[in-house]
Amino acid sequence: MHPLLHNWKASLLYLGAWLPLGAILGLLISVAGSLTALETAAIIVPVTVILAFVCLSPWYACRALPLRSTGAGRLLGQHLLAAMVVSAAVLMIARIVASSLSDVRPGLDKRFGGADPVLAAMVAMIYLLSIAMHYVVIEAQTSRRSELLAREAQLRALKAQVNPHFLFNSLNSISALTASDPVRAREMCIQLADFLRTSLRLGERASIPFSEEMELTRMYLNVEQVRFGRRLQLALDVEPACGECEVPALVIQPLVENAVKHGIALLEQGGEILMLGRLVKEGLRFTIENPYDPLAPASRSGIGLANVRQRLEARYGNAARLEVEASDDVYRVTLLVPVRVLPVRPS
Amino acid sequence: MKVVIADDEELARGVLREYLEKEPGIEIAAECANGFEAVKAVAEYKPDVLFLDVQMPKLDGFEVLELIDRQVAVVFVTAFDQYAMRAFDAAAVDYLLKPFGESRFRAALEKIKRRTGEIRPAELSTELMNAVRPAGEYLERIVVKDGARVHVIPAGKLDYAEAQDDYIALRSEGRTWLKQQTIASLESALHPKRFVRIHRGYLVNIERITRIEPNTKDTWTAVLVDGARIPVSRGGYGRFNSLIGG
Repeated sequence: MHPLLHNWKASLLYLGAWLPLGAILGLLISVAGSLTALETAAIIVPVTVILAFVCLSPWYACRALPLRSTGAGRLLGQHLLAAMVVSAAVLMIARIVASSLSDVRPGLDKRFGGADPVLAAMVAMIYLLSIAMHYVVIEAQTSRRSELLAREAQLRALKAQVNPHFLFNSLNSISALTASDPVRAREMCIQLADFLRTSLRLGERASIPFSEEMELTRMYLNVEQVRFGRRLQLALDVEPACGECEVPALVIQPLVENAVKHGIALLEQGGEILMLGRLVKEGLRFTIENPYDPLAPASRSGIGLANVRQRLEARYGNAARLEVEASDDVYRVTLLVPVRVLPVRPS
Repeated sequence: MKVVIADDEELARGVLREYLEKEPGIEIAAECANGFEAVKAVAEYKPDVLFLDVQMPKLDGFEVLELIDRQVAVVFVTAFDQYAMRAFDAAAVDYLLKPFGESRFRAALEKIKRRTGEIRPAELSTELMNAVRPAGEYLERIVVKDGARVHVIPAGKLDYAEAQDDYIALRSEGRTWLKQQTIASLESALHPKRFVRIHRGYLVNIERITRIEPNTKDTWTAVLVDGARIPVSRGGYGRFNSLIGG
């Protein structure tokens, strides 16, 4: 079925667009055939209604003859033929109406004969125009669909991404501990496995409760605390009510990873990562603060924040925010996501 | 053989220490947790080998490489960095990927022993840094040695660089620093729209130039904000004009 007919608002809008078209057609034939307003209306109203429906038919023809894979000759031939058939049929209907009314309006069929060529040409033109419009709509639809698919694929890839740098460094820490402290080595193995398993599991879901995201973050930090020892200190202050809020999966953990990688890891003495979670009017506000060295050697992989920002934008548009402030030695990232009570269902 | 270890992670230093202690005839002269310490330790202990982590506080591994004696053999140690690995391969620099086993470590050490006494090319560290920097990004800071200490010059605070034999003299905030590097390699690392080679021997921060005065038919003089006068060659004049013209 034609997509316009799925949606009654769109259908009404479409029919509304035919009002001025019908008026123009009426004006043309009333002048060409010197018809009165009433005579014109009697002929043009049924003609316009029929034409409005006939002009939806190219939807099928246009899809059967795609622009890219159809030869120009066949394309032109088929559509011109259709336009001529439509024009002839509409003209015949108009003539029938005119002749059936010539009893009450003497000479109507004769006078209408003068408007014949104008009406035929106009109908053919409108029909060809509707074909062109259909091609435009079909083209826009395909490009939007492929864009959506590409974005979905990208999001999946971004979510599944576990930073290899983190992984290999953790394995190196385990390798170091196996000789000096086998018990801690095993402990770290298990912590790393917990983190990887959870991040794979959560990455498959679009939304998760904030509490689960924080749990994952905690697992990540457990591993990093073995690696950095006393250099990595933590302070956590999250309102209990935040836990129930739905957030996109894996948005907090990359922010924390960022704080470790570009903040703590580049400070010889390390420092404290402060995390605050609050429910505010606009939604859930999460703030993460870490000390950093503004003179540190340039880092080559600041893509973590960009990924989170892209994902928020794709999902919430302007309703979500990710703000970054850097003072002399404190780096602060604030995330604001609108709170959804119900999980979003794919449409 | 004298060895220095530079890695900011205690556990990572531990692995190297563990492997090194099993080798006969090896002395660990120092263990460093940041780039400044590494530069200092190399100057102080003159080791044969430096095991050098790439990502460290204060100075990264490439910056350390720029500042140390070119006779010290360097083995980079890194967890995962595609760009760095590619750069190491291209420059035939020894490196270990974390985590590494004892046999891999011993192979690296054997290779070093065979090659002791070799002197690294002066341009190696700049080449490595250029190779790992993403396209379109340029050096934001220049590290220089100030006696035993390390000084960092942000690119925006560099007035100009002057070629002097094997060295370049860097002028910044009223002081001059010497560094063993060619002016061409510095030019390739700095932003081409902020620094212009106005003469074979001079690379100038374009923001520091107040005016250019004609000298003879084919030479000019650039006058800087602090009053310094720098010769401008015919080619340099063309480069300067094309830069400010568009």
